[in-house]
Amino acid sequence: MPKFFRTLIAGLITLTLIGAVSASFALTGKKAKSVPTLKVTVEDESGFSKLQVSSNTNLSYSFKKSGNSLTISFKAPSGLKLDKKPFSSQLVKSVELAKSPNGYSLIIKTGAEDFTFSHSARKNPFELIVNLKLKGEKSSPPESSFSTAEKPAGQPAQTQAAAATEASAKGIGSKNQVKTIVIDPGHGGIETGAKGSFGTLEKDITLSISKKLKDDIERGLKYRVVMTREDDVVVPLDKRAAIANNNKADLFISIHANGSRRLRASGSETYFLSLNATDEEARRLAYFENNSGELKNEVSTNDFDDLKLILWDMAQAAYLKQSSQLAEIVQNELNELLNTKNRGVKQAPFKVLTGVACPAILVEVAFITNPEEEKMLQSDEFQTKVAEAIYQGLNKFLQLYEKQ
Amino acid sequence: MKTKKKKIRLFLILLSVLIIVVLIFFFGSRKEKIKHVVKPSGTSSAVKPTKTVQMKKVTLFFLSEDDNLLHPEEREIQASSSVNDEAKELVEELIKGSKTGLLGPIPENTRVRQVFITSDGTAYVDLSRNLLGANYYGSSGEMAVVYSIVNSLAYNFKSVKKVSLLVEGNERETLGGHIDLSQPFVPDYSLVAR
Ligand SMILES: [Zn+2]
Repeated sequence: MPKFFRTLIAGLITLTLIGAVSASFALTGKKAKSVPTLKVTVEDESGFSKLQVSSNTNLSYSFKKSGNSLTISFKAPSGLKLDKKPFSSQLVKSVELAKSPNGYSLIIKTGAEDFTFSHSARKNPFELIVNLKLKGEKSSPPESSFSTAEKPAGQPAQTQAAAATEASAKGIGSKNQVKTIVIDPGHGGIETGAKGSFGTLEKDITLSISKKLKDDIERGLKYRVVMTREDDVVVPLDKRAAIANNNKADLFISIHANGSRRLRASGSETYFLSLNATDEEARRLAYFENNSGELKNEVSTNDFDDLKLILWDMAQAAYLKQSSQLAEIVQNELNELLNTKNRGVKQAPFKVLTGVACPAILVEVAFITNPEEEKMLQSDEFQTKVAEAIYQGLNKFLQLYEKQ
Repeated sequence: MKTKKKKIRLFLILLSVLIIVVLIFFFGSRKEKIKHVVKPSGTSSAVKPTKTVQMKKVTLFFLSEDDNLLHPEEREIQASSSVNDEAKELVEELIKGSKTGLLGPIPENTRVRQVFITSDGTAYVDLSRNLLGANYYGSSGEMAVVYSIVNSLAYNFKSVKKVSLLVEGNERETLGGHIDLSQPFVPDYSLVAR
């Protein structure tokens, strides 16, 4: 037998061996997880379309309507698959599953922008029914047979469905009616925030400036002010966003003092959220949500959340445009009124901003780690000036919005 | 019949010998490749008492008192056949701080518990609790910690596409109330001085 052939055969056998070994590795890898499946059916009933989502696992979810699409976000740490039956519907054009930063989003595209929706759900097995209808349609969807069974006491299913419909109507109809401003004094309690070299604590400065800002707003504008904390207490970051959403906030302002290892770092800056989106799908989804353009204030309740905290994983994604405008205007005012160095408008993935469902910014007033600025931050005069600058910024932003 | 059986046996023996030869050749050449990639530790081999340690040049990112950007500093770490080990050593060097007068953003008493890189390119950097509660953890202080680690790892290891920070083996909401750590970070070289 020629040497060439033997070498060839030997080579082939080696390759087969390597192939078999890697194949068995791949197989064991695949076996490890079982991913929950979303079964989706769409049916047209008289006057509305019924979308039914079921799964073998209980899922928590939230809704967001934007333009001609409705997005249902699911928390799904172990992944999610879509099993959708082919359908043809008057209203629902497509149903797609996309990866979002904190889970998965079911994106329902409809043929019209002026649709409303209501929903009902139950656990074990998980089933979510969403009724979508055009606003002009007269016949209303019937209550699902089980929708009253699982509701928390004191909140009948009907009000909930009605609230959802009302919310989506508000998004299109009477927009730009700013009523509530939420002020979020950074840190609190044992969570002191950054510390200055003279011992000044960020949490004290933020609360003091926030109280001054609250007074300014209540004196000068006809808006309700809600504070995420009034005292020196710990408030978890997601609770702060929930407070804003529960109060149907129209603007959210988080007040902080900055810190850096660089002692010379100085100046003020205003931040809005950057999506720490790591995959293309999330970026695409964020883009699509950002370009919906309207200032919405839809609030949807989550059936599975006992505290009824309204918190959307990435709610802020829909408001980045307005948030950046607000940041720009407030930073301009800070530059004019303060003699601090202008560090400009910046973006960062702030935990406290992600769940806020309205234009939201975080103001870093000055550096507490810079000894000169620390002294400044302690002074009542500087704090008053900062509050005044932020107030002027909010005022300008609101005027701009009322004109639009 | 008998001669045929003998022939087959001979063929099989030859085959197995060849497989062994091929395998040796395969792994042998791989080893050589690794040797090639790794830079020998220069001319100082005679000075060192034991084996020569192979070193690898890396670039670390630190803060500077002059501006708000990250600045590169070259460093040598011990080369290893395991990327996880090299990545761990890199983060340890980063924590030790700069040798050229730059500022290290990570508290010096922080220990690296583990670094592992998954097949999807996520590096999990597990640090001790000393990472938390620094006086300078405002937004800027936290951003500096995150991106000195993320940029340094992604810049030096092609297999690292994103970085997730863990504290004492657990996911952590933030370092001090600002930057969200629940999602992995992709490198951001716009924070690096040119
Ligand atoms: Zn802060």
